[in-house]
Amino acid sequence: MSNPALPGRSNLRRALSSNGALLAVIALLILLVLVGAGLNDRFATVSNLTNVFEQSAGLGLVSLGQTLTVLTAGIDLSVGSMMSLISTLASGLIDGDLARAAWVIPALLVLAAAIGGGNGLLIHWLGVHPLIVTLGTGTVMQGVVLLYSLTPTGAMPFELEWIAYDRFLGLPIGATITVLLFVLVALMLRYTTIGRDVYAYGDDPEAARLMGISQRKVLIFVYAMSGFFAGLAGLYLSIRFGIGDPYQGQNYTLASITPVVVGGTMLTGGRGGVIGTLFGVLLVSLLNNLLNFLQVSTHLQLVVQGLIIIAAVSIYIERKRGLA
Amino acid sequence: MSGATQTGAPAFGGEFFARYGIYLFLALLIAGGGLISPSFVSAGNINNMLVQLAPLGIVVIGQAFVIISRGLDLSVASVMATAAVMTSLYTSDNSSAPLIVASALAVALATGLVNGLLVTKRNVSPFLATLATAIMLQGIRFWLTSGAPSGNIPPLFKQIGAGSLGGVPISLVIFLVIAVVFWVVLHRSAYGRALYIVGGNPIAGRLVGLSSDRVIIVAYMISSTLAATAGLILAGFAGVVDNFVGRGFELDSIVAAVIGGVALSGGRGGIAGAVVGAAILIAIFNLVLLIGAPVQFQIIIKGAVIVLAAAFYVKKSKS
Repeated sequence: MSNPALPGRSNLRRALSSNGALLAVIALLILLVLVGAGLNDRFATVSNLTNVFEQSAGLGLVSLGQTLTVLTAGIDLSVGSMMSLISTLASGLIDGDLARAAWVIPALLVLAAAIGGGNGLLIHWLGVHPLIVTLGTGTVMQGVVLLYSLTPTGAMPFELEWIAYDRFLGLPIGATITVLLFVLVALMLRYTTIGRDVYAYGDDPEAARLMGISQRKVLIFVYAMSGFFAGLAGLYLSIRFGIGDPYQGQNYTLASITPVVVGGTMLTGGRGGVIGTLFGVLLVSLLNNLLNFLQVSTHLQLVVQGLIIIAAVSIYIERKRGLA
Repeated sequence: MSGATQTGAPAFGGEFFARYGIYLFLALLIAGGGLISPSFVSAGNINNMLVQLAPLGIVVIGQAFVIISRGLDLSVASVMATAAVMTSLYTSDNSSAPLIVASALAVALATGLVNGLLVTKRNVSPFLATLATAIMLQGIRFWLTSGAPSGNIPPLFKQIGAGSLGGVPISLVIFLVIAVVFWVVLHRSAYGRALYIVGGNPIAGRLVGLSSDRVIIVAYMISSTLAATAGLILAGFAGVVDNFVGRGFELDSIVAAVIGGVALSGGRGGIAGAVVGAAILIAIFNLVLLIGAPVQFQIIIKGAVIVLAAAFYVKKSKS
């Protein structure tokens, strides 16, 4: 951010750096599977890998939205509360009735996107760092959902469980849809004006302003997307578990950032992309699964998670320095 | 508040509010609270709030150092809990006190050093660096205690955490001493001046020959050391230890600092403001409960205050 790069060159640098990061994370993923296969003969089986894939859908959805805010050098710390809010409202309002789900689910997704867009608008209006704004709005949302219900309430219709548990051509449906959404967002970022604006704004907000890109539009867009996908993750998990939970998203706020960073999207904005995040999600999920197989205590898994963040960030920073 | 005067020269009224608005707000809050609920200003309740203020106040002082350096310390809660866990790791009599203090200090200094090194030498964003160390410390703590700490806290710590000297809570005395010492460090020492320069304008800092890396690393070490101190006090206050002593302090301390005028953009704010910010937060939480509102309103109001306070200072510095 501190060095004013020429817009023309920064495109090239961006492409080099994000592709490099993408290749690195894919190589790590392959390495992990190979090492895992050597360490435990049940790890690299189709059924285990499919299970890991199925279980990573929730994290995938939140991280997908989070990537967009990070691309603008922002962050959305309200995603966890958003998941809790949407999942609890869904489960409470639907209460097991499929007919009600038909309007409650779309309405809640609109609500999630609207609240997210509100975050973007607030950040634009107030000129306050997104960290603080979304921390504040996330806290308010957590309070609101606890006012609605202190405990898991209602039920999701079991007729929808196929989304989480059924397989199509051997692939878990929910996780496969998640991957398709990743691809869709990647295409949107690449081929639409708003997508390119997100990168331009993240790379250099001042230059973007001079190019006539509206800060308000970009911020509303990325935070609305982040809210929408967090809401979707909340719905997915409540369908999977059959009920919404006012604390469902608690651990997801910070967890959603690890795959983004591991996937090569820089917190300084403008570099990286959602496909990197997709592989970041798979890497994190597979690593946790492997550590479980190796009977590493869940406590030490936390240490590993911290090390991954540091390693990822340090490696990519060096890359940026080397190229800059 | 010497830092506040270094930047810009807003209109007289604006400057007055930016500098003293926070104190005015606390006074109004206490007066208004007393009108709404007379028991709010009773001696017992004020004592109660001051005891709650001590640990948060200690943490927010350290947080202010880091934020002035243009950073952020999300690891304070994890450091607090890890220091607290140390109290139950050895024998339960006072003879283990030096060992407990030494290990808590070691954890704190190591964490601060790692945070500082990651931020300066590896250019990691403070958010991620301190998040990563917080997660790792949590893992180490769980592993050390096998998930649930057992054992007793030496009586000395209970006295410090919950006892009082001639009616004044000991924890409050410790907090006040720390506040005065670090006020001097921040506002009257060469290090404090260097910190404001490095945080406010890193390039200028380099030009005048400051080793900005060292200044920043020391800020992180101050923050984790104060967090460990607060962790020991809280453990003594509760009398039992769990793995989450200080949960929420990382965000509360940032919020308190921001309310108190410590700008996240670095180089601005001071100890007095940060401490008053913490007092406002404690008073609001207390008031919500006193007027009988559901505890959820504490959460909602906290969220709203975060955004409003930050917006207040941003608008001020723009005008």
